[in-house]
Amino acid sequence: MRFFLLPALLVILILPSLGQFLDPAAAPAAPVTVYDSVVRIEVSTQTLDYRTPWNSGRFSGGIGTGFLIGQNRFLTNAHVVSDARRVLITKRGSSQKHPARVIHIAHDCDLALLEVEQFAPFSQLPHLEFGGMPKLESEVSAIGYPVGGDRLSVTRGVVSRIDFRPYSHSRADSHLVIQIDAAINPGNSGGPVVQDGKVMGVAFQGLTQADNTGYIIPMPVVSRFLKDVEDGEYDHYVDIGVSTFPLFNPAMRKAYQLEADGKGVLVTRVVPESQCDGVLERGDILLSIDGHGIDSAGNINVSGEFLDMNEVVERKFAGDEVAFTFLRTGKKKDAKVTLKAFEASRIYAMKYGVTPRFSVYSGLVFQPLDFNLFATYKFKNRNLRKLYEEYIAEGVFEKRKDIVVLTRVESDQLTSHMSGFTGMVVEKVNDVEIVSLKQLHDILHQKNAPEFLKIEFDGGSRPLVIPSVDAAKAHPRIMAQVGISREAQLD
Amino acid sequence: MKLHFLPAFALTFLTVLSIPLSAAIEDSVLRVNSTLQSYSPSQPWEKTSPQKLRGLGALLSGNRVLTTAQMVADQIYLELESADSTQSVPAKVIAVDYDANLALLAPIGESGFLSKMVPAEVSPPSKPGDSVDIVQLEDNGSSQTTSGSIRSLELLSTFVSGRYFLCYEVKASMQTEGNSFTLPAYRDGKFCGLLTSYSSKDQICDILSSDIISAFLKDAEDGEYQGFPSMGVGFTTTEDPNFRKWLQIPADQGGLYINRVLPTSSANAAGMTKGDVLLSIGGHPIDRKGYFQHPDYGPLYWTHLVKGSRKVGENVEVEVLREGKIKNLDLLLRKSGERLLASHLYGQAPPFLIKGGLVFQELSLPYLKAFGKDWATRAPMNLLEILSNPEDFEEGRRRVVVLTRVIPTQATIGYERMSNQVVESVNGQPVRGLPELEKALAQTPENGLHKIETDDIPYQIYLDQILTESVDQQFKTSGLPLLSRSYSVE
Repeated sequence: MRFFLLPALLVILILPSLGQFLDPAAAPAAPVTVYDSVVRIEVSTQTLDYRTPWNSGRFSGGIGTGFLIGQNRFLTNAHVVSDARRVLITKRGSSQKHPARVIHIAHDCDLALLEVEQFAPFSQLPHLEFGGMPKLESEVSAIGYPVGGDRLSVTRGVVSRIDFRPYSHSRADSHLVIQIDAAINPGNSGGPVVQDGKVMGVAFQGLTQADNTGYIIPMPVVSRFLKDVEDGEYDHYVDIGVSTFPLFNPAMRKAYQLEADGKGVLVTRVVPESQCDGVLERGDILLSIDGHGIDSAGNINVSGEFLDMNEVVERKFAGDEVAFTFLRTGKKKDAKVTLKAFEASRIYAMKYGVTPRFSVYSGLVFQPLDFNLFATYKFKNRNLRKLYEEYIAEGVFEKRKDIVVLTRVESDQLTSHMSGFTGMVVEKVNDVEIVSLKQLHDILHQKNAPEFLKIEFDGGSRPLVIPSVDAAKAHPRIMAQVGISREAQLD
Repeated sequence: MKLHFLPAFALTFLTVLSIPLSAAIEDSVLRVNSTLQSYSPSQPWEKTSPQKLRGLGALLSGNRVLTTAQMVADQIYLELESADSTQSVPAKVIAVDYDANLALLAPIGESGFLSKMVPAEVSPPSKPGDSVDIVQLEDNGSSQTTSGSIRSLELLSTFVSGRYFLCYEVKASMQTEGNSFTLPAYRDGKFCGLLTSYSSKDQICDILSSDIISAFLKDAEDGEYQGFPSMGVGFTTTEDPNFRKWLQIPADQGGLYINRVLPTSSANAAGMTKGDVLLSIGGHPIDRKGYFQHPDYGPLYWTHLVKGSRKVGENVEVEVLREGKIKNLDLLLRKSGERLLASHLYGQAPPFLIKGGLVFQELSLPYLKAFGKDWATRAPMNLLEILSNPEDFEEGRRRVVVLTRVIPTQATIGYERMSNQVVESVNGQPVRGLPELEKALAQTPENGLHKIETDDIPYQIYLDQILTESVDQQFKTSGLPLLSRSYSVE
């Protein structure tokens, strides 16, 4: 049985510590009930393989931790229950496994809510109460079911840093984290971290190259998730889609006719079609966000807290508004923007529980580029890497919904000289620019095909051509030879 | 010594003999000692540590010594030394071709010990099966000769990557003596080539052929070396039967698919276009993999028909297939035009400019390669893009100027993290190359601020002119020997 652990820089884990509860001078009997509300989660997973997307993938599983926060509501990490086929919850001091299911899962902040089919056995347990942000140097305890034994484990640590850090589950998101100096181990993932009997956060990842460093998802992130799902749906984080550059340089400030007061940050890029597109533009100087003055490095001060201006947006929800004041060619302006999640940017996020899209024709396998595909094939082609890098920043997505890649060429007499095309991006098929997998699929399967099927690649040294008649004949033959059970998954 | 790996196949016969040197050969072999020092790719105002190289050369008529370009690339001192190492004279480079890996040297001043030597004659072309003698010198000055036979002729790149020239593949069992780098080879007592690498595992030597050497020497005769011609096309093979059908290439024809024609090339001038199929050059049909049948040497790669067998200024008949029809083109051969990215920087000091702490350089292949073993994926994406698709950047540019790094100074506060950004314009003037950049920055800008526009965030930055000048003054007094190295343009 595998215990959940993140493979990248950060390792997912749960860390329990009950120092405060066990303070003999306080209430020696209290902690027992808190422990009882921390449950063991056993998960069986099925992870689809992007190399052979028509196959069933790999079956595996693992152990994580969760805790009761309300009437049949268990909080855990998203990575504990990602790609889950079966979820079982076990109470402390019991061996009975209770079938459970995922109600909400938020991959961008690594949190998930579960419920059990029969709540009765859990109904007497206390719902863990939430606290606020712990102070630096204060002691917290992580509770969970990490490796090294079957029973509940408690670890104690000191809050050593509160920072904005990457969340390794999605590979694409950064939020607030609390770092503690206790080893959080695989299996700790999803467990509560408590102080004075209150939950201060959820243990979720560690560092592979440092001992005794654990990371916790703090309450602001947890509360945001719980509030977001109140309407029955998770809407993701929102982003303003603006890149900035610090205005430290006096010459730079002079060029923009700014005083040497350390205020204002330069807008360098506005993502096309983002909420700020058409509102802000390159060369604007952002002065304030929701009334908080922005300094020349893009930081703000909110009631004594020194934050990146993006943290204002971080705490908001889809549909909320954000207000800016900015300078454009020396004139002060105001703007209000309604926030919404930006779907296209998820190309850089690891996807879970999603069937990979593909289309196979005549031994040629086409797949849309995303993080999972990139991680699978580790593409070297420069044109592909550039399109991937610029997908959002340069607005590639406006034209191309999908960057379609020829990922494989299955062996056959017809395709024997075509393997050199793998890893390249399809630019045109029969002179039509390819903007989505569905469109490519339809062109490949169209009736009244021209004499030759001609596929051109971004930066390709020549087009790939196949007589259409031969391609149509080879299609079923190659599917059968290679054992491809389905010819496409288009959505 | 570089190892060259070759496919193994059975040899019908092989001669590996050590024979005493004939007097004529011994008398034309001498030592070439060089001290090489190249510029640092990231700090072009500095040189890297010097490196000493010892090799051999062959004395030819007119007191000229032939050796490989490798021996003299980035040389700061050259000397010719007698076989027994007792006498030496300083030397200079008369002509050098880095692509072909050949250099012609001459003594500076007195010819010294050279006058006692006997110059070698250059051998006529050799064929497969011919026997050659490879000469090495021992420390005591005695020479050792290894005989081998030419197994085949092939186009090999022996120094600058991607530049292929005719070489002999010689099977010989050699003991490598110390200081053996660049070894002269003889056939029937005449100088026939320079050995550039030897694989002791396969017992195969690569020897630059006398065909290429003769062409090089002839070109250098008038003191103005021109170089080898080039057609200036990008191409790919036509082995895929589906592709051939589409191109309407008859079954009995070979052909190469032309996918790029350089704007300043001979091919472009003769009207060759992308999509043409190159069928033959000078009456030699080219097969679908790019080989032609040489009457004496057997199959050779097609570029030999241009680079190895013709001169700049010569005309050649080229046959192409265009939309199923054969067309004959008359090509006037030119030297390959200057590329947007220099493929090497041998023999030149790389231009650069430091302004207020901003470091500007011209993009070159050696700059990209300095990103290490995995440079092709590790170098910055925007710069690799230029290598992949130079045609997208050629307009309005002779060279690509890059803001390679920022030295923290008073003038560059806030810019410290910028690196490897392509410079588009300075003070409103497009940057065609480093001299233009230098000129634009020498002008007094509007409101005292230099404006520099680049391809990445923040897209434009400013330098205070007065502050920049004082920073540059400080640099001069605090250890930066040089703040710019440029060149003139017409």
